[in-house]
Amino acid sequence: MSHEFEPRIVVLCCNWCTYAGADLAGTSRMKYAPNVRLVRVMCSGRVDPSFVLRAFQDGADGVLIAGCHPGDCHYINGNLKTLRRYPALETLIAQFGIEPDRMRLEWISAAEGDVFVHVVNEMTEQVRALGPLDWKRRTAMTVPAAESHTAG
Amino acid sequence: MEPRIGVFVCHCGTNIAGVVDVRRVAEAAAAWPDVVYATEYKFMCSDPGQGMVKDAIVKHNLTRVVVAACSPRMHEPTFRKACAMAGLNPYLFEMANIREHCSWVHEDKEAATLKAIDIVRTSVAKARLLEPLQARVVSVTPKVLVVGGGVAGIQAALDIANAGTKVVLVERSQSIGGHMAQLDKTFPTLDCSACILTPKMVQVAQHPNIDLMTWSEVESVEGFVGNFKVKIRRKARYVDEATCTSCGVCLEKCPKKVPSEFDEGMMTRKSIFRSFPQAVPGKPVIDKESCTYFKNGKCKICEIFCEPKAIRWDDEDRVVEESVGAIIVATGMGLIDPHGLGQWGYGRFPNVLTGLEFERLNNATGPTGGRITCKDGSTPKSVAILHCVGSRDRNHKEYCSRVCCMYALKFAHLIKEKTHATVYNFYIDMRCFGKGYEEFYNRLLHEGVKFIRGKAAYVTNQALTDEETGHLVVSAESTTLGQVLRVPVDMVILASAVAPQKDAEAVARLFGMGRSPDGFFMEKHPKLEPFSTATDGVYLAGSCQSPKDIPDTVAHGAAAASTAMSLISRGTVEVEAAVAEVLTDSCSGCKICQDVCPYGALSFHADTRVAEINGSVCKGCGTCVATCPSGAIVGRHFNDRQILAQIDAAFLW
Amino acid sequence: MIEVPEMIAESGGTTLDLCYQCGTCSGTCPWNLVRDFRVRDILTRAQLGLEGYEGEDLWMCATCNACVDRCPQGVEIVDLVRTIRMLIAETGAAPKTLRAVLGSVQSNGNPWSGDAEARMGWAQGQPVRLFDGTPEYAFFTCCTQAYDPRNAKVIRATAKVLDAGGVSYGFVGGGEWCCGDAVRKTGAETGFGRLAAHNIGVLNDLGVRRLLVPSPHCLNTFKKEYPDLGGKWEVTHVVELLRDLVRGGRLALKNAVPAKAVYHDPCYLGRNNGVYDAPRDVLHAVPGLELMEFARTREEAVCCGGGGGRLWMEAPVEERFAVLKLREAVAMGADTVVTACPYCISMFEDAKTALGLDQVRVADVVEIVAEALQAH
Repeated sequence: MSHEFEPRIVVLCCNWCTYAGADLAGTSRMKYAPNVRLVRVMCSGRVDPSFVLRAFQDGADGVLIAGCHPGDCHYINGNLKTLRRYPALETLIAQFGIEPDRMRLEWISAAEGDVFVHVVNEMTEQVRALGPLDWKRRTAMTVPAAESHTAG
Repeated sequence: MEPRIGVFVCHCGTNIAGVVDVRRVAEAAAAWPDVVYATEYKFMCSDPGQGMVKDAIVKHNLTRVVVAACSPRMHEPTFRKACAMAGLNPYLFEMANIREHCSWVHEDKEAATLKAIDIVRTSVAKARLLEPLQARVVSVTPKVLVVGGGVAGIQAALDIANAGTKVVLVERSQSIGGHMAQLDKTFPTLDCSACILTPKMVQVAQHPNIDLMTWSEVESVEGFVGNFKVKIRRKARYVDEATCTSCGVCLEKCPKKVPSEFDEGMMTRKSIFRSFPQAVPGKPVIDKESCTYFKNGKCKICEIFCEPKAIRWDDEDRVVEESVGAIIVATGMGLIDPHGLGQWGYGRFPNVLTGLEFERLNNATGPTGGRITCKDGSTPKSVAILHCVGSRDRNHKEYCSRVCCMYALKFAHLIKEKTHATVYNFYIDMRCFGKGYEEFYNRLLHEGVKFIRGKAAYVTNQALTDEETGHLVVSAESTTLGQVLRVPVDMVILASAVAPQKDAEAVARLFGMGRSPDGFFMEKHPKLEPFSTATDGVYLAGSCQSPKDIPDTVAHGAAAASTAMSLISRGTVEVEAAVAEVLTDSCSGCKICQDVCPYGALSFHADTRVAEINGSVCKGCGTCVATCPSGAIVGRHFNDRQILAQIDAAFLW
Repeated sequence: MIEVPEMIAESGGTTLDLCYQCGTCSGTCPWNLVRDFRVRDILTRAQLGLEGYEGEDLWMCATCNACVDRCPQGVEIVDLVRTIRMLIAETGAAPKTLRAVLGSVQSNGNPWSGDAEARMGWAQGQPVRLFDGTPEYAFFTCCTQAYDPRNAKVIRATAKVLDAGGVSYGFVGGGEWCCGDAVRKTGAETGFGRLAAHNIGVLNDLGVRRLLVPSPHCLNTFKKEYPDLGGKWEVTHVVELLRDLVRGGRLALKNAVPAKAVYHDPCYLGRNNGVYDAPRDVLHAVPGLELMEFARTREEAVCCGGGGGRLWMEAPVEERFAVLKLREAVAMGADTVVTACPYCISMFEDAKTALGLDQVRVADVVEIVAEALQAH
């Protein structure tokens, strides 16, 4: 086994575009880095900022949020809500000392298996270059536990 | 009570098991908390595979089921049904995608197996927290909207109407008929296109179950499967349909001529017009954009000559609303803009035509009454037909346009028959795949049509020899001969590529459809559901999905109709249970959710001062759930606890 | 025995696999206006791993890029031809005439057997400003302008025009070597690497940021090939700058230049770098000049025949593209062929001599502009 650092990346993706795009990458037998784990939500608009923080807190080295292209949202414009929320999320992770390159927002359609592959590979290398995040050691701060948010 | 989870790992033949060590995945799962049963099997989706799930639910008293196999977009419905048959609420089922997202995209077996274990663990984590939901059953409005009146839309509309269901057929031009109405003959049978199409057009007009709206466009679509609300703009016709007798006097008298869209601009029509003589409906409309009266307030000649007094200058656009249960999109195809194909001389040399222009030239109702002539009126002695102009070409359209080889053969036959000219086909591959197509190719070989295996590189009028002087010259390599040929001809026909309609992007958005990389509308499954879209209740017919010839278009239209009809006949449909729910105790009444909901499903209750959700309008996107500052909205089946549990389980941190 | 397909793949020629034998390349190739030449044969042989590149056929391609632009499969034909040339040249099979040229490049830093010390000789002793890091542009002289007397006139005209336009520039000054475009295209990859490394060193040492070039071949090489080797500057062709000067009113083109001129698109300026309008805009601004177009123009333009090392190779008069084009120019009533490339100038001047067409003038855009500036 090589001891090279293998980044761990959580992908929060919408059901209609990006999840289907990842399916297309599969049916087309494209190959990409095995460093991502997908968590499917119906719309990227469902991505609560706490999900991203939880992933980093758990130990993720990178988080990718991915949804339909603006205008193509299955739910009309849920993705635009994500887009609007994203800058605040960027500021937030910066406050936690997390490098901006560890988080990405991408629009990947159901027809863009190749884009999915490209983004995953690129981000894997980007995060690999940054090295492990090691959230717990970096900050003594803890994110509000999910349990306080159980209503959702 | 602790959940009792069963995990079933599919081999999918060697699709999964060839890369992922499925036994190791099942063994890993067996060791996790709450997993009381874990196994693997060759094909989980097979009858025996589903049987295993059902048996295990009973035998091991399972309260949750996880199947690790393909994409949930593929088989989630299959296994939900199997669970339900064994008495388990189908929403207590969760699928782990270890094929599309794992075995098919990775080569390193160790890494793929570890990833598969992670994926299954993530699904088990969610399954542990799943809650039973009841799918809501709603009734289906027994009416279908068909968008586009080409042969696909006509077929779909007639099939549905004949089954006894009401149809609204919307067509944006003056008449139905589409591209097929423009054609003279059809391949390979050479029967007259209009002769076989016009009876169907008339049936549409006369059918008691079809409400035909030409000169109309769909403006907005709301609702969901079984219950769509559609707004249709009926453009002002300025001719009262009830009064007009289709006598056609106005068409003669109108002094304003504009290029006819139907005739590819090779002829003119009037400002008051019908698209072509056999148009359905036969009653004309006034095209406001070009009409002299609308431009400068003077003329009204049509009104003067209209005996039944059918002209209505005060007519206005009307927006009508229709409730329908299903929508069939049959908006057809366009053609690549030939002006971008400079090397083949279009726009520079008058005797370089597109295929559709040649169709009109050859048509009895076309500019020459069906005589095949050059622009100067002379009969061509030689004609070149250039295949794959813009098709199979990364500079333009990468796909094969699928109809060109055959219409090129048809053209070659018609040219031979009418003019005895020498006909050259410049082709890369002859693709004659349909019924009777190869036989037609053989017939053309017999007729002495010349086939040059090489793509035409360019067309020029620069002669290098006396023989070339005064002609168009096609330069191409005969790859079979191994020689570059310069072939002088009098006319060049470009088999220019079929393309998505120019407004395909807007139409896709209107109906909530995706588009494939080629720009055509995306089907739900390329093999098994080429007539469905990702949006339930919205179906596809004809060449808006991909280039098609007439037989395939008609078959596609009929398939879309029968799929829509099975929804209509059932009368009810289960709609998403995974919608949002407001926890009134936690709601602060801030109304932020109202702003973010794309469907207006949330309202503010004046008395209780909290948000209220309309469950049949909500589609479950979860945007409000993520936005609510009080955490007062739950996204059923995708709640925060479930998603966070998945994130926690995504890796062995 | 060379395993051609593997070697090509190693050299980055993976697009070769995509060729589906449609023949668009052969049908597009200008050679077939004058004689038989099928570039597809070269590709097919390479695809199938067949030997037998006979004679000098492989060195016929003038790298005009017309086939690459039209190839429906996006096959990088010119790159492949270059790679195959490289592989074959390693076996010592390169044409003899090219060997002399490559020898000169090796020993003198230019293909014209010119003394490296004499690179600034075109100035004929007149004072010119040398680049010392302060001017906006560093001017990189093309070897053909530096050593070929006909083209030396163009560079003198260029200096005059740039001075009149108040352009801040200086000549690199003699230390530069050939940009290496033709060297590389003939397959001499090592030779090209040596030239590029030298030039990158010279230009970076001088602190160059913006490079002004008179040759489309230099333009293409600096823009597309040097960046991978560490040479990254903003590169402008003289004619692009002239257009800006004319538009900005910084060049007063007051004198009439009565001519019926037809503009010939250099392949490396037009097809390869998309510069079609700038030379035409400049010519339109010249009083008294009537601008005509060849039947096949802009993207469709037929090559002069001088690229890819062809400038140094012989072709019978009837097989020269420039001869064909000159005849077309005369037939349409043109009295001047204007272009913007030293190779094109040479090829057209040769064609003019071969045809004895003394009444036709061959000129660079810059020369026309210089005349329009002159006081009576």
